[in-house]
Amino acid sequence: MTPAWKRRLVFTRMGRWYTALTIAIGLAATNTGNNLLYLVLGLLLASIVVSGVLSEQSLKGVRVERRLPAVANAGQPALIGLLARNGKRRAPSFSLEVREARGDVDGRGFLVLLPAWQAAEVAYRFVPLRRGVHRFEQIEVATRAPFGLFEKSRPLDAPAELVVFPRQVPPPPAASRALAREGERPQDRIGLGLEAHSLRDHRPGEDWRSIHWRSSARAGRLIAIDREQERRKRVCVLLDQRALAGEALERAVEVAAALVTRELDSGAEVALAVAGGFLPAASGEAQRHAALRMLALLQSGGSAPPQADPEASLLEVRA
Amino acid sequence: MSWAFARGWTLLQAQRWTGTLTATFAFAACAVSGELGPALIGLFPLAVLGSAFFAERVPRRLDLAWTVLLVAVLVVLAGQVVAGQLDIVLAAARFAELLCIHRLWHRHTERDELILLLLSLLMLCAGAALTAELSFAFAFFGFAISGTWAVALTHLRFAIEAGRGPAGSAALLRSRRVATPALLGALGGLAVLGLAGAALVFFVFPRVTIGGLRRASRPSPVAGLGDRVDLSRHGVVADDPRVALRVRLDPPPAGEPRNLAMHWRARSLSRWTGHGWAAQEGGLVQATRLPRRPGSDRGSDLLSAGIEVVGTFADGVVFTPEGWPLSVDFRRPGFSRDPVERLYRNAAGDLFYQPVSGNDLTYRVAVDRGAPDVRSMRGRGRNYPVWLKADLEVPLNLDPRVRALAERLGGGKDPADAAAAIEVWLSTALRYTRELPGEVEDPIADFLFARRAGHCELFSSAMVLMMRSLGIPARNVTGYFGGRGTDAGYYAVRAGDAHSWVEVYFPEAGFVLFDPTPPSARGSVQESAWARLLLAWDALQQRWRAVIVDYDLIAQAQAMRRVGQLLSETGRRLAGKGGSAGRLRAIAQGALLALMAVALVLAVRRIRGRERIGRPAQLSGDQRRALRLWRAAKARLREAGIDPQPGATPRELLRTAPAAREVIEVYSRIRWGGGALSAGQVRALLRQLDSRLHERVAPPGAP
Repeated sequence: MTPAWKRRLVFTRMGRWYTALTIAIGLAATNTGNNLLYLVLGLLLASIVVSGVLSEQSLKGVRVERRLPAVANAGQPALIGLLARNGKRRAPSFSLEVREARGDVDGRGFLVLLPAWQAAEVAYRFVPLRRGVHRFEQIEVATRAPFGLFEKSRPLDAPAELVVFPRQVPPPPAASRALAREGERPQDRIGLGLEAHSLRDHRPGEDWRSIHWRSSARAGRLIAIDREQERRKRVCVLLDQRALAGEALERAVEVAAALVTRELDSGAEVALAVAGGFLPAASGEAQRHAALRMLALLQSGGSAPPQADPEASLLEVRA
Repeated sequence: MSWAFARGWTLLQAQRWTGTLTATFAFAACAVSGELGPALIGLFPLAVLGSAFFAERVPRRLDLAWTVLLVAVLVVLAGQVVAGQLDIVLAAARFAELLCIHRLWHRHTERDELILLLLSLLMLCAGAALTAELSFAFAFFGFAISGTWAVALTHLRFAIEAGRGPAGSAALLRSRRVATPALLGALGGLAVLGLAGAALVFFVFPRVTIGGLRRASRPSPVAGLGDRVDLSRHGVVADDPRVALRVRLDPPPAGEPRNLAMHWRARSLSRWTGHGWAAQEGGLVQATRLPRRPGSDRGSDLLSAGIEVVGTFADGVVFTPEGWPLSVDFRRPGFSRDPVERLYRNAAGDLFYQPVSGNDLTYRVAVDRGAPDVRSMRGRGRNYPVWLKADLEVPLNLDPRVRALAERLGGGKDPADAAAAIEVWLSTALRYTRELPGEVEDPIADFLFARRAGHCELFSSAMVLMMRSLGIPARNVTGYFGGRGTDAGYYAVRAGDAHSWVEVYFPEAGFVLFDPTPPSARGSVQESAWARLLLAWDALQQRWRAVIVDYDLIAQAQAMRRVGQLLSETGRRLAGKGGSAGRLRAIAQGALLALMAVALVLAVRRIRGRERIGRPAQLSGDQRRALRLWRAAKARLREAGIDPQPGATPRELLRTAPAAREVIEVYSRIRWGGGALSAGQVRALLRQLDSRLHERVAPPGAP
């Protein structure tokens, strides 16, 4: 854990020149005994002290929270928010730079003024270049106020992780062999599907819309129709990554993600089978998130071959 | 400009103008030295004004021309320095000014702005090396304020540009709600803080001077009292309010009057030229010891005068107050001896110093003020030594009326009575006027018998000639009369106080002062606003010099000693008993206790605040055990070849390591949901995990 008192101080370009000139003027004053040079030296040294005190005052009491996006895809910009709060009751903070430090992500935002006891949010664009886990370690609050001579920064521990989903690519065209088993599938029991399951006598009080009028006319009494229960289209995206690595693995993961997205968008239940892992078939946003997260974290190798869902149409990703 | 004032400043305008103002103050710090030269002094204001209106229109292709010009100037200045024609500090100041002008016309990037400010700082330093005048203090003060504005606004401007990008920052930079009077006021407050810190550093920074590259003093033209008086000048004697001498008397004059009635003798002029006086010819000899007053015991009425001759009026003559000079000391206070014998005298006994540098000079003169009166001068006879021949010479063409007048006033009298009679007659019978007679054939006769009015030189000249016509040695003396008290503790003798009087020789007594000028007309009457302003400026300048310019190791040691004495005195009073000391001690103890209590409260609040900010929520004992369980479980999983994916949550780990289900569930429940977990439970869970992992690795039936 980083202690609250820890600070990092670096010279700016102006600060380097300023310090060099201060030393030179100090030497000149000592050498010549010229009191006016001592006066100039005093002003320069006092400015350094004032700068240090004010920059500390600016950093003091500032806390920052990171706001990560719900979804981030490789290759697409994502906005990461940094919410800064000034915990001082009276003193505002000036010229604050809030930035990521020591993590996988580099981003920063700038606040001209953070009034006392108030909060302000800045955001930076982050374009992840790869899928997978991106770690955040610290947030640094830095200021060069008031004179830009030095940059004083204060590290704040803010560990977090952002799982970046695979890059979005267009899915491959559907193969004719795979299409043979696609479509809504009856389950041979009464349900709310479209296909007819059986006919029976209409029961009093039953919804009149269940009456099968043609059969009723033929039988001379009211006949009701029961529909079959239909199951959604079930697809299993299968990716065997055991022999894949590097770019081939990335391309395969991207294609698998594209297939998962396409099938979920079309309303299907999608299962995902990879070497060493299996995601049971389901639909909806939660399933999309789970499948893409699984693909985002997928590594090369694995011992067991992927086990496909026998009930589902198989969409196998080939490298 | 007025339009901008009315509507307020944008951040861009404020940043640029404060940068320009800073450079201007730095230039002023150099310019007050008067050494930059009229061309460069005139060039800078023109360049500033021009840059405000035309800098944006200068095409970039002229940059090369600027560079060539600057290189050429650099070569010329370097050549002059190498050839010994130009001081290196002055050359640096001139070149820095040109670089500053160049940068004022080329302000496009952050680098340009920062270079402008650094060059301004260099110019300020050059000004510090070139001058020690009070004017520098004002330039320095202005630089401190405007420099603080400029540096802070420059930082703000470019921080906004870097943080928000050109498009995002444009609106803010052109907003008039950033560089508000409140912001500028706050930055001004910072500058005042900086000045206070500068004062602190200035007074405590050890004054250990190496002195290796100390700049040589600047010689200046001499404009003091000359060795010749011309009585045939035209016009009116003008009052000159410039301060020529600064005098501190020890002991101070009784009652410490605002106006001092004191003659400050410069030199005697014995040779009549027909239209005035000239000094005797002859060289100077070193005066290791001054002659004693004849027939007088030393030390009857001693006066010590610390005299500071302003550089412009320092022409090598030693000024002495009324009385017989006993010693002249050129040593600085605290220095045991002067390395060089500087005192000289001529045949007439006038005192001089060498070398003449043209800078301000301070020395201390001790005189015996026990001046003999007329009564004691009587009866000393007319047995004059030979070396007084020059002081007895009467012009051959002296108007007989002058001699007749002298005879009428002092003929047949004792020389002392004759001198007194002539002095009284001149000062009462004739009128003082500042109007000069112009070219007349005999200025003395014209003064005595035609105009019957004149200035001090005519009064003294007439008396000298009249005394000589009676066979009494006398000479004309020049110097100053008067002295105006100042708030800075010294008497200022101004150039307009120049005066002329008479010295008459008496055997066994030497030369004795007589002043025939009416007392009310001696010196000058300078009460105009301008004269008072100059006097106040001079007093302020003396304080500046005393406190700042002349602050050295000795002054620092004295200041520290005073602080030590103050602390010691305070401690002594606190340690004392009874009376006010007891009350003071009680108050101090109370204040100390209150301070300690406040410090304690602040420290506790600070520590608690740090805990709140810096530390995560404290874990309970059960949570800490859950954390240890989780870490131990992950280590065992790794040993078993199940490497948890980086960043995998416990629930995600459950998919690849179902053997750790119980551990994960317990960890999640205790760590985040609360509950109890004993150390025994932890051990049991880990043993269970070990056995499951063993079953997973070992095939059934294996030993």
